Amino acid sequence: MKTRLLLGLPAVALLLLFFVLPYVEMVAMSFRAPASGLPFGEGHTLLHYQRALGDTLYLGALGRSLLMGGVVTLLCLLLSFPLALHLSRTQGRWHVVFFACIVSPLLIGVLVRNFGWMLLLTVDGPANRWLLAAGLIERPLRVLFTPGLVVLALVHVFTPFMVLPIATALRNISPALREASTSLGAGRFETFWRVTLPLAFPGVQAGVVLVFVLSVAAYVTPALLGGQGVALMPAIVVRELIGSFAWPFGAALAVVMAVATLSVVAVFTLLTQGLAERTRA
Amino acid sequence: MTQVDIAGLTKRYGGTLALDGVALQARDGELVSLLGPSGCGKTTTLRCIAGFLTPDGGEIRVDGQDIVALPPQKRDFGVVFQNYALFPHLTVFQNVAYGLQVRRIAPAEQQKRVAEALALVRLTGLESRLPRALSGGQQQRVALARALVIRPRLLLLDEPLANLDARLRDEVRWLIREVQQQAGITAFYVTHDQAEAMALSDRVAVMKGGRVVQFATPREIYQRPAEAYVARFTGEANMLPARPAQRLAEGLWRVAIGETVLEVPGATTLAEGASALLMLRPEALSLAPTGVPARVLAAAFLGASQQCDVALADGTRLRLQASPHLAVAPGDAVHLAVDAAHAWLMPDIAP
Amino acid sequence: MTAFLRSLSAIGLGLIYAFLLLPLVAVVGASLTAGEMMRLPPQGLSLKWFGRFLGSETFREALALSLQVAGTTVLVVVTVATLAALCHRALTRRLGAAFRVAMLLPLLLPELLTAIGLLFFLNHLGLGKTLPGLQIGHVVIAFPFAFLAIVAALEQVDPALEEASASLGASGFETFRRVVLPLVKSGMLTGGLFAFIVSFDMFTISLLLKPIGGNTLPLALFDFLTYDFDPTAAAAATLSVIFAFCGVVLIERLVGLRRAF
Repeated sequence: MKTRLLLGLPAVALLLLFFVLPYVEMVAMSFRAPASGLPFGEGHTLLHYQRALGDTLYLGALGRSLLMGGVVTLLCLLLSFPLALHLSRTQGRWHVVFFACIVSPLLIGVLVRNFGWMLLLTVDGPANRWLLAAGLIERPLRVLFTPGLVVLALVHVFTPFMVLPIATALRNISPALREASTSLGAGRFETFWRVTLPLAFPGVQAGVVLVFVLSVAAYVTPALLGGQGVALMPAIVVRELIGSFAWPFGAALAVVMAVATLSVVAVFTLLTQGLAERTRA
Repeated sequence: MTQVDIAGLTKRYGGTLALDGVALQARDGELVSLLGPSGCGKTTTLRCIAGFLTPDGGEIRVDGQDIVALPPQKRDFGVVFQNYALFPHLTVFQNVAYGLQVRRIAPAEQQKRVAEALALVRLTGLESRLPRALSGGQQQRVALARALVIRPRLLLLDEPLANLDARLRDEVRWLIREVQQQAGITAFYVTHDQAEAMALSDRVAVMKGGRVVQFATPREIYQRPAEAYVARFTGEANMLPARPAQRLAEGLWRVAIGETVLEVPGATTLAEGASALLMLRPEALSLAPTGVPARVLAAAFLGASQQCDVALADGTRLRLQASPHLAVAPGDAVHLAVDAAHAWLMPDIAP
Repeated sequence: MTAFLRSLSAIGLGLIYAFLLLPLVAVVGASLTAGEMMRLPPQGLSLKWFGRFLGSETFREALALSLQVAGTTVLVVVTVATLAALCHRALTRRLGAAFRVAMLLPLLLPELLTAIGLLFFLNHLGLGKTLPGLQIGHVVIAFPFAFLAIVAALEQVDPALEEASASLGASGFETFRRVVLPLVKSGMLTGGLFAFIVSFDMFTISLLLKPIGGNTLPLALFDFLTYDFDPTAAAAATLSVIFAFCGVVLIERLVGLRRAF
């Protein structure tokens, strides 16, 4: 048995060394002094946090990022619940097909999926041509490089992350519970509202946290589809790191973003913990 | 006041016929058991009555009204499930009150009726517990209270004791019977345990391959089984091939088994000379100073009785219940006495 | 009323599924065009943009780097994840759950933050902007995917089998080789496939950790999409779609899709 536990060592070492330590390094970096010509200098300072928290440019970007994360999460939830419900109610061959439709986007790069939206929604793309032909619009819509498109593409990217935990939670609900509910006089909607929805909540909670965390820090999609108009936190962080070569300040911004995200998650989790505790069967 | 008439119920799953013309009745206040091994159609029948399954044919009449088209939530039947099916996110009180809440009963009335139901199953004081904080027996009692509190027209129980250990099973079994009698509710009870069915039921329907092969009182099922399948399913039985030699009276036959001639009760449907089976329950045989000679093969002392396997001269093996006071050992030569009044002659139908 | 509601919900679901799949169809469609413009629907069908893609020096080099990094990632990740999964199996329920979450952290935390941390840390080690550095980043991010798949496969193996093998006199390693390995091979393959695909598509890590002068395929594709906009990009992207499609089919054949996630 002891030797069995030793087998975990390489993985633990890998993550400790190249995952945990880098996060520690990031926090440490955020206190380093800046230097010109070099990524960072000697000594420590709190200056970067003062700058990050004192400038409306950064606070605004942070606020926008959190807001966008929230909107994306909400939309993902709205799309994912019916999908997960449908998935949990189909059987056999069709189940596999629908499941494949939902998870296969997970296996395709974010970049490629975003690119698909570019193709569909460019000024002379099929969406615009179809809308023009149908007489629904008079002029082609310019959706490329707008926040709306970024949200749409992020919802597309993260929907599978929301569907999977909810579908798992739904699958764990015994069909006998629904039968019990109907035998006691509850109709379909009442059964859904009083039994299915509360019992799926742990899955919803997990999905919401995951999608929120991932979408706040999403970099590629806004960079590709958002254009210059929308300044979001991840883009600013990357610009500081790669463009301005200001590592300590970039690190400080990243830490601020991480702490803000985790605070939102913590508040959400605390507010909903009672419900989740109860429904964890 | 609920009377149930089920006729010609069929249900097909793909190519297999799960129910093949099930016919059953339950009179007001009666508890009817559906007894059989797994796959015999007993649970399918119950689920059709509950409305979770729609039968392909046949009718289910409750007080004369055909309910097949009625969705489960409009039937007003209380269902107790094998794995309890308590809502894990609701407390005991909320579970029991569920059916009252969806019926929009006033809260004060809810309080009163839930308290009554919990008192009935002796769970008062556990109102605010969650199901997972209860023992299996307690959970099943909550399930019973939840089904009863809506004052159902019919109580349906699907192997309610299957997940309980032997000690609790006995306790909950009597509770179910007591509560059912007190409330005077007509009930259907699915089980694969013959002892359970016989102890609880007013009548038992023994099922085989999607059909009811015998529907009668527990006593009749045990003592006058319609066929060998029923006899074996309801307890130990020695089956001897026999030919009814002569019909002495309605239901009374003279048969010859080897060189022994007996006068035994039997099914009225038999014909003279047709092939039949003679059932001898172990308790219809005993060891005696004189009688049919036999040799003891094995003997097991069970305390209150003694189980003996013996072989007749022609090699036929029989199992009998002997008095525990006799010392019997393998190899002993013994004589058997047959209590012909408690034998039963039945048609030979393939099991 | 119910029929109306049912058809309404069917239409709704159809729209959501269309939403999920349309962009992928668009990419594949655009890559197959015979025309000179990236337009949908394609003007005639041809594979010429795949030819141009393979003819482009930039893309060819990027593809080679991506394949190399993804290949190495698979080897490292499957080995480490299999060992970790065996360890996970030996733990008690409570401890196992904690270990599992810890192993999944790189998947649960944003890639961007991990990339930033690694950027600093690798620089500290002297591995900044080098191929080994990039490789380490890919291994860390791809690890949880392989771990999940292998743990799922191991869960299907009855522990009594190992006890039976041990009782028959097999050593721990022999039991693993003769009993466990054959039963989880498909899970390891699935895990490797996941790791490959994840690595092949990884963007943010590559952006921050790429060696000087080197570009992975997603990075090259991003540059191309920002500056040029012709169907070569679609051909490059279609490659990723094809990998994913083969992956899904293969996983379904090997272990069943449901069990892999």
